[in-house]
Amino acid sequence: MNTAQQSARVGLFFLLGLALTWVTWETLSDGKLFKKNGYSLIAGFENLKELKQGDEVRMAGVKIGAVEKTRLAGRRAEAVLRIDPNVRVASDATASIVMAGLIGTNYIGLDLGTPGAPVLTDGAELRTKVTPDLNAIMADLGNLGQKLDGALSSITNSLSGDSKNPGFFQKLDRLVADNSAKFDSTMTNLSAVTEKLNKGEGTLGRLINDPSIHDQLVATVVEIKGAAAEAKTFVANAQAIVDQVKTGKGTLGALIFDETTGNDIKVVAANLRDLSQKIAKGEGTLGKLLSDDSLYLGMQSTLKKADRAIDGLGDTGPITAVGVAAQVLF
Amino acid sequence: MNQLTSILEGFGRAMLLLIESGRHLGTLPRQRARFIEQCYLIGYTTLPIVAILCFFMGSVLALQSGYSMENFGAKQFIGSLVGLSFARELGPVIVAILVAGRVGSAITAELASMKVYQEIDALVTMNIPPARMLVLPRLAAVLVMMPVLTIIGILIGWFGGAVVCTYVDFISIEPEAYFAALRSFMQFKDVGTGILKAEIFGFVIVLICCSIGLNTRGGPREIGASVTKAVVASLISILVLDYFVTKALL
Repeated sequence: MNTAQQSARVGLFFLLGLALTWVTWETLSDGKLFKKNGYSLIAGFENLKELKQGDEVRMAGVKIGAVEKTRLAGRRAEAVLRIDPNVRVASDATASIVMAGLIGTNYIGLDLGTPGAPVLTDGAELRTKVTPDLNAIMADLGNLGQKLDGALSSITNSLSGDSKNPGFFQKLDRLVADNSAKFDSTMTNLSAVTEKLNKGEGTLGRLINDPSIHDQLVATVVEIKGAAAEAKTFVANAQAIVDQVKTGKGTLGALIFDETTGNDIKVVAANLRDLSQKIAKGEGTLGKLLSDDSLYLGMQSTLKKADRAIDGLGDTGPITAVGVAAQVLF
Repeated sequence: MNQLTSILEGFGRAMLLLIESGRHLGTLPRQRARFIEQCYLIGYTTLPIVAILCFFMGSVLALQSGYSMENFGAKQFIGSLVGLSFARELGPVIVAILVAGRVGSAITAELASMKVYQEIDALVTMNIPPARMLVLPRLAAVLVMMPVLTIIGILIGWFGGAVVCTYVDFISIEPEAYFAALRSFMQFKDVGTGILKAEIFGFVIVLICCSIGLNTRGGPREIGASVTKAVVASLISILVLDYFVTKALL
């Protein structure tokens, strides 16, 4: 191999190394070597937690930049954010440090802000809000654990009791010990009842074990269904009648809802009242017939005369009954 | 006691050789051909074995970490683990060991042969300092080639890990997720640290190998002994220096 070829290969190899170094730098440093695109915003927090240079800045979950550097500014910590030039951040957008993983991966999360709000420019400061970090959550969990521990201790004490006050279990034990004979008796009775039930004795036992009772029950249910259907038909018919009455159809409907008929009935009642009054006073033929006994006496006299005349007919020979009657009466 | 004296003596000779070479630094542009030749030998010809070894080291690292991390649901961090460990530690150390074994042994063998067969003496007689003609181009070449070998080795190691994460059933992580995890936990500073370590390792390897080669005494049998001594000394130096350099760079 001549020197020229060797030089060319070494040169290419060296350039390859330089190119790979540059690519690695660009990839790991977000291209900060030769260009510094976008604009910077400042986000101040009480504590940046695990946030570090190079962490992502996301708006609504989409990466829009990176943390350029972190610094202390007086009594607070500031993160300088490098935002992509084509992304506009609303002035009321709020930044918070979001934990992406349990082992310390964080990013700055921005919300979208209000539509139409003014856009932040280079060097402007973002609104921020504090989010609880893992340590705060663990501290809360610790407090919760202590409370749970206290509650469980109270429950345990109330269940177990102490030397002075018997607990729930001691009371239960005493109750069982004092009433053991009753419990035994109850259990014996229960056993007897269940045995009878199993044998099919008694109403409940037969109900459970006898299939004919089931059939009867089914038949009864069928009959009840039939009766219910008939009752339904009856109710439907009654409803139809009521509907007809309500519409004024038929005699009853006319009686209840027709005003003319009502007036007629009132007139009839008034006439009947007048008639009864006249009869009571003995006015008219019917009144006299009821109250004046002269007609009765006359009739009685007439009947007596007729009786005598009939007797006379027996003596004088047969004549036509019509002729005698006519003589007597007229 | 003799061994300790021998170690200190070797250390002193290496330092003197470094100073001697530094004195001739101005002659480097005139030795361009030798420099290119050494770059070719140290860098270009070492690349295949570096690529193969780094690929499989990255693969095995991903496989082992995937097997372990699967148990506690941290598979998504394999990229970070492989990325960081390869950039900061494995990449430079593997490249340095390969350079020590392949290049260092060759340098020692060549210089020891020249010494045994009195070529070095001939150079000295002709007023050509061996440090200028034989050591300086090698030191300069290793300084230029080690970063290149290391960055290639690191990237190939990352790629090997990504291949395993993608195609091994019980890991099954998409390459995008693997490299996203790698990026989220890494900065270029980590890669830069690895390159700096490799640079130091390479320089020390060449210096040790040159020093041992030039100080070989005896016959042909001593050449083999010098090569063994140079490789062993290089490997020990790499691992000892690794600890101190890492501690200094953290």
